[in-house]
Amino acid sequence: MKAADRSPARRRSDRIFLASFILLGGSYLLILVAMLAADVGYTSPGHLWRALQSPEIRYAIRLSLLSCSLSALLSLWVAVPIGYLMARWQFPGKGVVDALLDIPIVLPPLVIGLSLLILFQTPPGRAVERFIPVTYAVPSVILAQFMVACAFAVRTLRATFDQISPRHEQVALTLGCSRSEAFWRVVLPEARRGVLTAGTLAWARSLGEFGPILVFSGATRFKTEVLSTTVFLELSVGNLEAAVAVSLLMVIAAVGVLVLIRSQGIESTLGRPL
Amino acid sequence: MNPARTVIGLSLAIAGVLVLLLMWRPGAGNSAGGQAAVPGRPLLVYCAAGLKVPVEAVAREYERRTGVPVQLQFGGSGLLLNNLRVARRGDLFLAADHTFLDAGRSNGLVNEVLPLARMQAVIVTPKDNPKNLRSLQDLVQPGVQIAFANPDAAAIGVLCRQVLERSNVWAALQPRIKVFKPTVNDVANDVKLGTVDAGIVWDAVVTAYPELTSHRDPTLDAATADVGIGVLSFTEQPAAALRFARFLGARDAGLPVLASHGYSVVEGDVWSERPEIVLYSGGVNRLAIENTIREFEEREGVSISRVYNGCGILTAQIRSGQRPDAYFACDVSFMTPVSSFFRPHTVLSETRILILTQPGNPKGIRSLEDLAQSGLSLGIANEQQSALGALTQRLLDAEGLTARVLPNVRVQTPTADLLVNQVRAGGLDAALVYAANVSNVRDHLGIVELPQPLAMAAQPYAVGRDSKNARLMERLLQRLRSAESRRQFEDLGFRWRDTVSTQ
Repeated sequence: MKAADRSPARRRSDRIFLASFILLGGSYLLILVAMLAADVGYTSPGHLWRALQSPEIRYAIRLSLLSCSLSALLSLWVAVPIGYLMARWQFPGKGVVDALLDIPIVLPPLVIGLSLLILFQTPPGRAVERFIPVTYAVPSVILAQFMVACAFAVRTLRATFDQISPRHEQVALTLGCSRSEAFWRVVLPEARRGVLTAGTLAWARSLGEFGPILVFSGATRFKTEVLSTTVFLELSVGNLEAAVAVSLLMVIAAVGVLVLIRSQGIESTLGRPL
Repeated sequence: MNPARTVIGLSLAIAGVLVLLLMWRPGAGNSAGGQAAVPGRPLLVYCAAGLKVPVEAVAREYERRTGVPVQLQFGGSGLLLNNLRVARRGDLFLAADHTFLDAGRSNGLVNEVLPLARMQAVIVTPKDNPKNLRSLQDLVQPGVQIAFANPDAAAIGVLCRQVLERSNVWAALQPRIKVFKPTVNDVANDVKLGTVDAGIVWDAVVTAYPELTSHRDPTLDAATADVGIGVLSFTEQPAAALRFARFLGARDAGLPVLASHGYSVVEGDVWSERPEIVLYSGGVNRLAIENTIREFEEREGVSISRVYNGCGILTAQIRSGQRPDAYFACDVSFMTPVSSFFRPHTVLSETRILILTQPGNPKGIRSLEDLAQSGLSLGIANEQQSALGALTQRLLDAEGLTARVLPNVRVQTPTADLLVNQVRAGGLDAALVYAANVSNVRDHLGIVELPQPLAMAAQPYAVGRDSKNARLMERLLQRLRSAESRRQFEDLGFRWRDTVSTQ
């Protein structure tokens, strides 16, 4: 159908359709922007500057960015195989495994932290601690972030692999590829957008993670204090301005990283375009 | 190139770089304000989040002075209690209210508790206070909206509800409560943001909010919380933990910092890294307390000079100007003359006076009266120098035997153990001593019990009124009251009698 064929009545209905969608979607965006504006109004460049000058907060920024990146990467390592297996393989008890994978999404984050804390007091947990101190140390931050973020990455990749037709993979197999070759040369390149989405989702989720970190890692300055902990600590002494300033730093960091990855990420994360 | 190798290799490399960056600590040496290459094992302190600012300042000062790093772990008191219960590691727990420390104690998680400060529930409003709210009466008016701390989880919520229910204000106030918040700071934040007209918070909390002001209400005055720090039972360095706790609770170290943040602080000890303490004790108590004192010295990291002597001599020294940090007398009658120099005493134990005779009791002594028989050689304690002597004299006077018995007295000694040795050596037929003096010789010598109520000495412990280490000496008292200490008293022939005097 050519554009010239469209009747004015249809064009009007299209406009109404688009306008109502923009209105509905825009209202959400409006609240979001209004929230940020309110935040900006509640703090001042002075507070932001002081926050950036504070060595505690600089440490928290560095720890947050590094631990988020590491837990996002670990999430991908685990989520790609799980997502692929769950999408391609049928096996007894698959429903149970599927439900298990959702537990970190369903449970209150505090419970994840508490469960990790308890786990590392059991004999196997203590055995691990003898080699790598986990509880109340930096590895606990990464583990707490990873446990939650990974569940989101798994969900995303499962959906990605579900949507990729197994046909290309089968063609590759008939052309003499092994399963491994077919996966690396055909399936993964097709899934690259999904992998990227899963990675950024895991990263963002880790940045905002708070409940399990408070319980499992504690809120120790210069040790396990991440940005979300800083917000909590500032709130708990009534320093709302500083809490808002740190929140804005988190927003800036998150938006910056997400935009960067989404614009450049496809090439840089998966090598040359495929 | 093989894409598998590329992807795996690249992601491993990124992970490696991230881990290296995490391990790389620029300026880790001066973290938390300490000096580079700080000696000493770090202390892990669970700290109620509301106390963050003053405690952080005190911890930094402690690190600067001693070089021991203090790691503060912040959170709500209840959350921290749960955390340390599961994690079973750490050294100290600083709670916003003693109820959390009590709970920790009854669960065997907390040992010594050092009181720090008291907080008072107040009404908080913005400084301009547009609705002019100043009392509970104002808060129950229609149209007023207040925030209240969760009456099941937050200490202030629990306490205030109890107090308000008792004074029949709760029912009227409840409809005005717009929101229950999990912590007291959330309540103050709501008032600051203008979400509600007023809230009920601790007075010390308001100090952190320059834009808010507090109002006392007589009904709320009953709602107070005691801030304290407890030593965790699983600490591996109790002396180091107690040292920081003493620093925080010292009147010339941590407490002024807390006071400057609006806390009404307790009367604390004077700071000393290793306090030197003087304890006066009647000779009869020596064996019963010696072990406990040695353990206390080691655990607290303090030195205690013990002065054991006849209580007559000790009271004379006190009256002539000596001021021990604590005094553990042989009998209450030797506390009374010097009680103005001490705080109210606690009677820990008692021991009866009895007659010690040669093996098989060859002189046939059955009662006090038999001590008057002619030709008997008797030993008693010196009336001026010792409590035992004074009690013996009182006993003989009451029985009307003094004039008949005194001629038989061959020797008067300042302490009873000298008498026991002389009976054992055969130099005396009999001696009047404490049951607690004869626990080692019961099998070798004869013993005659005395039924008279006056034949008894009760041992009181009191802390010096002006002692610079009063809190420390109170902790020694707690130690002396423990089951382990009680067993040592009873093994030596004392009877346990732990009561706090009401004077």
